[in-house]
Amino acid sequence: MSITLEQVTKRYQGQPVVNDVSLTVAEGEFFVLLGPSGSGKSTLLRAIAGLVDIDDGTIALHGSDVTHVGARQRGVGFVFQHYALFRHLTIADNIEFALRVRRMKAADRRERRKELLKLVALEGMDERLPAQLSGGQQQRVAVARALAHKPQVLLLDEPFGALDAKIREELRWTIRRVQRELGITTVLVTHDQEEAFALADRIGVMNLGRLLEVGAPRDLYARPTTRFVATFLGAANLLLALQGAEGIRLGTTPVDATVRTPALTGREHEVVTVLRPEEVEMAAEREQLTTSYMGRATVEELQFTGALERLRLKLLDNQHAVQTTGNGAEGRIEATRLQSERRAMPLAVGAVVALGARRMHVLPTPLSSFSIHAADEAAAQLLAQAPLLETLAGRMKTRVATCADASDGAPNARPGVAVIEGSDGAALRAVQLLRAGANEVLLLSPSTTLPEQICMFWLDDAARHATMAVTASLLRHLPAEAVCVATAPAGRRDAKRANALRALLDARSEARAAHALETRTELVPGEGPQALGEYLAGLSAPLLVLGTADITTAEAALGALLARRPGMPVLVVYRESAR
Amino acid sequence: MGLRRERSVIPGFGITFGFTSFFLCALVLLPLTALVMKGAGMDWQRFVAVVTDPRALASYRLSFGASLMAAAINIVFGFIVAWTLVRYRFPGRRFIDAMIDMPFALPTAVSGLALTAVFAGNGWIGQYLEPLGIKVAYAPLGITIALTLIGMPFVVRTVQPALEELPKDVEEAAATLGAGPAYTFFRVILPALLPAILTGFTLAFARGVGEYGSITFIAGNIPMETEITPLLIVIRLDEYDYAAAAAIGCVMLAISFVMLFAINLLQAWGRRRISGAGRR
Amino acid sequence: MTRIILILVSLLFLSALLFAPLAVVFASAFENGLGAWFQSFTDSDTGAAIRLTLLTAAIVVPLNTLFGVCAAWCIAKFEFPGKSMLITLIDLPMAVSPVVSGLIYVLLFGAQGWFGAWLQEHDISIIFAVPGIVIATMFVTFPYVARELIPLMQQLGNDEEEAAITLGAGGWFTFFHVTLPRIRWGLLYGVILCNARAMGEFGAVSVVSGHIRGLTNTMPLHIEALYQDYSMSGAFAVASLLSLLAVVTLIIKTLLEWRMGVHHR
Repeated sequence: MSITLEQVTKRYQGQPVVNDVSLTVAEGEFFVLLGPSGSGKSTLLRAIAGLVDIDDGTIALHGSDVTHVGARQRGVGFVFQHYALFRHLTIADNIEFALRVRRMKAADRRERRKELLKLVALEGMDERLPAQLSGGQQQRVAVARALAHKPQVLLLDEPFGALDAKIREELRWTIRRVQRELGITTVLVTHDQEEAFALADRIGVMNLGRLLEVGAPRDLYARPTTRFVATFLGAANLLLALQGAEGIRLGTTPVDATVRTPALTGREHEVVTVLRPEEVEMAAEREQLTTSYMGRATVEELQFTGALERLRLKLLDNQHAVQTTGNGAEGRIEATRLQSERRAMPLAVGAVVALGARRMHVLPTPLSSFSIHAADEAAAQLLAQAPLLETLAGRMKTRVATCADASDGAPNARPGVAVIEGSDGAALRAVQLLRAGANEVLLLSPSTTLPEQICMFWLDDAARHATMAVTASLLRHLPAEAVCVATAPAGRRDAKRANALRALLDARSEARAAHALETRTELVPGEGPQALGEYLAGLSAPLLVLGTADITTAEAALGALLARRPGMPVLVVYRESAR
Repeated sequence: MGLRRERSVIPGFGITFGFTSFFLCALVLLPLTALVMKGAGMDWQRFVAVVTDPRALASYRLSFGASLMAAAINIVFGFIVAWTLVRYRFPGRRFIDAMIDMPFALPTAVSGLALTAVFAGNGWIGQYLEPLGIKVAYAPLGITIALTLIGMPFVVRTVQPALEELPKDVEEAAATLGAGPAYTFFRVILPALLPAILTGFTLAFARGVGEYGSITFIAGNIPMETEITPLLIVIRLDEYDYAAAAAIGCVMLAISFVMLFAINLLQAWGRRRISGAGRR
Repeated sequence: MTRIILILVSLLFLSALLFAPLAVVFASAFENGLGAWFQSFTDSDTGAAIRLTLLTAAIVVPLNTLFGVCAAWCIAKFEFPGKSMLITLIDLPMAVSPVVSGLIYVLLFGAQGWFGAWLQEHDISIIFAVPGIVIATMFVTFPYVARELIPLMQQLGNDEEEAAITLGAGGWFTFFHVTLPRIRWGLLYGVILCNARAMGEFGAVSVVSGHIRGLTNTMPLHIEALYQDYSMSGAFAVASLLSLLAVVTLIIKTLLEWRMGVHHR
C-alpha cells in the first residue's frame, strides 16, 4: 500500500478538524478527497505531506511510518492551490529547485527539466518568469516542479481552484494523462464532484472532519451509504419509505429499490431512499409508466439547461414521504429529462403527470425521521428546539414531526425515531412506545446540547449490530468521540471479564469493518446498568445509545440510568430477537 | 490549549524568537526599567517637586502648546497638500510627493540650523517678518514652525492613502442625490477621513512633544520662555542631577505610552470603519 | 479655480517650510565657492566627526538589519502567545523622545547608573564614549527594518516557503533562495531609512556623547558645536553633506517604491 493512514486526528484549539480518519491508497491509484469547504480534506492532505502535524494516529508511505518525519524528508510532490511558484525564478529554475537542493549535476538537471516540460506540454518556456505565464500554464509548471525529484506520491490541493472553467477542463485532462503515464500514486483534494468523478479511481468523501465513504465513483453515486454522500454527489431526492417483509412501499404503492441491507427486524420500519432526478419517469397516465408508480404530481417549475430539462414537481399524494431535496425545496421532487423526452411529451407549468421511479436506492442508515411525542403541541415545539435534535435533523436533512398523545395517554407509534422528554416516568413511556411499534426512542430535554461522547452499550448481544449501526449513523452527523462500553465485575481475572474484553475488541473491529467507525473501548468495572450509570456520570456530555432485545430489561436499565443522571440524552434501540 | 503554539513546518522559530526577544530585552526593556526604577526610587514629595517645578511646568506648557499648535497647522495644510497630491495632476507633482518625506530623511540638526537661518532677523523670510514685529527665531513661534516641519509628513502620509482609497463613486452618489460640493466635502469626505486625520494629528503631536534636535537651534533656550521639556532633561543631566532628569523622563515616557495607546485605538477605529463599510 | 488655489497654497506652505530651508543650506554652504566648501572638511575635528558617523552607521545598520530580519521572520511566519506585545515593544523606540532614549542609557551605564560602578572598576567607558553613541543610535533606529519587513512578509504568506520545504530544501536554503529574493527591495528600503536615521540622529546621541570634539562628536553634533562657535560656513558645509545624504536617501527610496510597485507611507 502506497499511503496508509490510521486513525489520523488533527485538532485546532481542541476542535477536531480531521477526526479518526483511516484510509489506504493503493500503488498507482488516483484518489480524490472530496468534501465541502471546512470538511478537513485540505488539512488531511497537508498532514500526508508533513505540512501539518497530527495529534493522533499514524501516517505511512510505502510501508514506512513517516508520522514524525518532517515535510522536507518525506519527499512527496505537493501542488498548491495558488501554485506557489517562486516568482523571482525562471520556469527552468523553478523546476530544477528540488534537484538543486539535492545537488544534482547541471547537465542531469537540464535533461530532467526538458523531460518534465515535455510531459506538461510546456516545451520552450524554460526562461520565462511565472508572471509571464497564464494561470493554467503556471499550474502545469507547479505540477512539473512537484514531480522533478521523482516523488512516489503526488499530492494536489485544489489545483484547479483558481482557474476558470475552460482551462480547468483542459488541465484536468493533462493531470490525468500525466498520472497515467507515470503511474504515480496521487491524492487530489477538491470540492467539485464533477472533477472528482472525472479524475478518480476512487473517491473519499469527507464531512465535518470524518471520512464518510470511500468507493469507486459509480458505486458512490449509485449506492451511497449516507445521506450526506447521496446529496453531495449530485442532486438527489430523499424519500421516506417503509420497508417490510414484502419489500419497499411508498405510502400505499410498492416500489422497486436496490437494498444493500435486508430488513433489520421482522417489523415494518421506515427507511430513507434516494431517487436521482434522472431516474424519475414522467407520463400522462399511470398506465403509461414503465416503472413502479410513485404518485401524481403537478409541474411547478421548468428550467432549460441545454442538454437537459429540469423540473420541480409537487407530489399530490404521498406528500409526507418527500424529505428535503439537495436544493432545499421542501416537499418537492426534482427531475431531469433529455430533450428528446421533452419533445415526446412537452409539459407546461401546472400540468399534472404520473411519476414513476426507475431506480431507487435504500440507504442503510437506521435513522430515518423523528416524531416527537408530547402531551401537547407547546411541549412538542419546545422539545423540537433542543440543540441536539435541531442539529441532527438539520444535518440529516430530515423532518421532525410532532404528534400529541391520544386522549387516554397511550402513545401512537409512528415510523422513525420517537422522541420524548426524559423527565420522570420517561422509562415507562419509552417502553410503551416500543410496545406500540417504535424501533428507536430518543429521550432528551429541551436544553440538551451536542454530546461530546457518544457511548454505545447493549443489554443483549442480539441488539449489538443495530446499536452499532445507529451509533455510526449519529457520528456521521455529530462531531463527537465514539466510546464502546461494556461492564464486567472488577478485580477478578475470571472468565467473565476476559469474555467481556474480547467482546469489546470484537465490537471495535466490527465497527471499523462494517461502518468505518473508529471507537474507543471502555471496560467498566461492575455489573450492568448500575456500573454503566457510574461511568456515564463521570463524563462531561455523554449521549448513550442503549441497545436491547427485550423490552422489560430495557425498562429496568433505563430507570436505573435516568435515576443516576437525570436529563441525560438516551437513544434506545430495540430489535426483536429472532425467536 | 489556546496558549500552545501551533507547530509549523517552517523552521527557525526558536532562533529568531530567541534573538528578537533577547535584543528587545537588552536594548529596550532593561534601560526603560532603569528609568522607571530611578524615577520610582525617588522620594514621592521630591518627585512631585521636581516635575511640578515652575520651570518644568513652563516647559510642559511650551512643549504641549507648540506641538498642539504645530499639529493643528499640519492637519489644515497637510490635508490640503495630501488632497492636492491625490486629486490633481500638475507638473512637479511626483517631485513634491517624493519631497514630502524629506523631514524623515533630513537630520533634525540640519533642519533646525536651516530653519534658523531662514527665519532669523536677517534670513530669507525673517527679514520680511521682523519689521512687522513678528519674531520667529529664538521665540515660541520658531519652535512651532520647527515642529510643523517635523510633523508634516506624518499627517500627509496618513491622510494620503485614506484619500486614495476613498471610492470616487461615493462622491458621485452624493452628487446624484443632490448634494453640493461643500455639503459633500463636509458630510461625506471629511467624516470618512476623520480616523486618518486624527491618527496623523496624534502622530505629529507625539513626535513634536519629544522633538529635541531641531529646536535647540531655533529656540534660543531661554529658561521659562523657550525651554522645552526634553531640553530641561538635558540641562538636569548636565547638572548631574540624574534623579531629576529621570523624573522628568518618566513623565515624558508616560506621555509616550498614552500617545502610543491613543494611536493604536485610532488605527483600530479606522480599520473597523473601513472593513465595516466594505463588507456587510 | 479651487484647484489652482489649493495647489498654490500647498506649494507656498512647502516652500516656506521645506524648500527654503533646504536651499539655504546649500546656498550658505557654497557661498564662498567650491574650494571653501572642500576646505571646511580639512579641519581635523570635522574629519573625525565624519569618521565617527560612518563608523556608527557601519556597526548599527548591519546589526539592526539582522535584528529586523529575525523579528520579521518570527512575527510573520509563526503564531505564538505574546506576539502583539512583541510588536508593541518593537514600535516603542519610535514613540519615545530621543532625549529619553539617551537618558535611559545614562541611567544604565553612567557614573551613577546601574552598571556604572562595575564599568568604572573595569575601566570601560560607555557613556561619553563611542560605545554609548553606538548603543543609543541602535535603540533609536532598530524598528526601521522590522517595521518594513513584517507587513511585507505577512502579505507574501508561507506558500512558497512550504513549497520549498516539500521539495526538500532546508531552512537556510529556503531563506536565501526563496524568501530573501522576494523581500530584498523591502529590506533595502528599511536599511536605507535605518541608515539615514542612524547618521542623522541628534537627541539621543547628544545626551550620551559628552560632546568631546574630535572624539565623541558625530556630524549632527559637530554642526551644533560649529554653530555655537559662530563658525557658520563650517556648520553649513557639514549640514550640506548630511542634506546630500537625505537627498540620496529619498532618491533611492523613491526608486524602490517604483520597483516594489506600491505606494509606501
